[in-house]
Amino acid sequence: MIESFLSSWALFHNTYLAGWLIGLLLSLVGVLVVARDQIFLGAAVSQASTLGIALAMWIGAWSAAHSLSWFRSDAFLSLMAVVFSVLAALLTGPGGETEGESHEALTGWVFLASGSLSILIVSHSPHGLEEIHRLLASSIIGATGEDVWAFGALAGLTALAIWAAHRRLVLFAMDPVMAAAVGMRTTRWAALASGCLGLAVGLSIRTSGMLYTFGCLVLPALVAKNLCREVRPMFVVAPLVAVGTGAVGFVLANHYDFPPAQMTVALLSLLLTVAWLVPRMRRRAMR
Amino acid sequence: MEQNDLVLKATGLTLAYGRRIVLEDVNLEVRSGRFWFFVGPNGSGKTTLIRAILGVLRPRTGTLWLHPDRGHLEQIGFVPQRCDLNPALPTTVREFVVLGLVGTRASRREETERLEWALAKVGLEGMAERDYWSISGGQRQRALVARALVRRPSLLILDEPTNGLDLAAEDAFLRLLADLNRKDHLTLLFVTHALAIAARYATHVAIFHSKRVETGPRREMLTREALKRVYGVGVEVSADPSGLVGVRVCPEGGNS
Repeated sequence: MIESFLSSWALFHNTYLAGWLIGLLLSLVGVLVVARDQIFLGAAVSQASTLGIALAMWIGAWSAAHSLSWFRSDAFLSLMAVVFSVLAALLTGPGGETEGESHEALTGWVFLASGSLSILIVSHSPHGLEEIHRLLASSIIGATGEDVWAFGALAGLTALAIWAAHRRLVLFAMDPVMAAAVGMRTTRWAALASGCLGLAVGLSIRTSGMLYTFGCLVLPALVAKNLCREVRPMFVVAPLVAVGTGAVGFVLANHYDFPPAQMTVALLSLLLTVAWLVPRMRRRAMR
Repeated sequence: MEQNDLVLKATGLTLAYGRRIVLEDVNLEVRSGRFWFFVGPNGSGKTTLIRAILGVLRPRTGTLWLHPDRGHLEQIGFVPQRCDLNPALPTTVREFVVLGLVGTRASRREETERLEWALAKVGLEGMAERDYWSISGGQRQRALVARALVRRPSLLILDEPTNGLDLAAEDAFLRLLADLNRKDHLTLLFVTHALAIAARYATHVAIFHSKRVETGPRREMLTREALKRVYGVGVEVSADPSGLVGVRVCPEGGNS
């Protein structure tokens, strides 16, 4: 099984590396999402990112008639994905609520509006619908060397930022009232967290699709939450879970000829089911 | 009284949220080692003044002076009204208390010393590695105080910290605070609705009503006249020599 995986390395090494680095990046950001109990927000942000891509494709098709080639470039697609996911994260984050509506209501609205509009916008475009379905289903085959470098740099920077500010991050995530009382500007921290979430999701979605992006965002952090006794080690355990499961998932997918993204997310889901038993066993042992 | 004793001084303070003025012309002097109680009806601005002291809310007018050493944010401990931790999040007493060190500069060794000292102060020694969610409500309230104490504050602010505690836990908690005030000369600001608690433990009282704050020593403040002005009904606070405190609401126009 391992030999077969290694023999595919020459052909798919960018896919594997990009997949693991995306898992690493999203799992780090995901700890904050899970700690702040904003899991559905992750789904809405991923969906909004897909809307950004759909809109970019529509603009790209329109610009073809006007010789505006930049609007058909990968950079424009990525930019739109990031812009829409950052906007969605800011809109649905704390402080973004409108009078009389909760975060949950806004998050649901973003999820449903983005999901329906992204299909409607590209439904008459020749390849648009296919592309959106590819994004929703997730296919990480086709990642490039640039993707590997970009996600490597982003994951490294994110890990560095978390290492430098871990205690503030944990306090902000766990108890924002106390965070404000000790002088943290919680509104700015919330905006920064939303911006990072939007950036990570927006950049990942084009390479890995919605299922893999959302799966890597929340599942490793949820597994870590059940395995750890404190929030701080979750920032170590979640990336290990993401990359470890990604490695196993890619090997299995290669051997049995399954799509790697779906295999990894299925394994993460299975791991979470097992991890749910850990706190119960711990409580039983304490009695 | 020396000026050096001052921990904080508010002069002509006006506090507002947008256009809504909550407090006007607040004058308050808090000196070191005092046990202040902020009392008043709901929405009278007690928590708003706390927010201003913590630097979360900027005064509209007036000045709020904090002692450069004793009143610096690093020297203020805060116990919030409620701790909205997500109960699904794993945490230990140690992690919870150490989070109180955010914004302070303490080495790893000093951090451990402070943690042990704070836990010992609140009677939670040896519980650092316990799951925060496995300890009782009274112990969690003590952990909240430990999280504030770990900053080694000279001013401890508590915003209705006894809400939700049963009588025994409340009594133990208040005795702990009285000890900190008496033995460690910690200055305390305690926000509460419970006049009986204020009557028993306060050295000084600030009464909040009609956007104003009246301040003074407990004996001058918890009088029938002052309380009638605030609550609109006759309220009498009495204490017997054993320290037993009674609060009676008297019928309109009737004798107490």
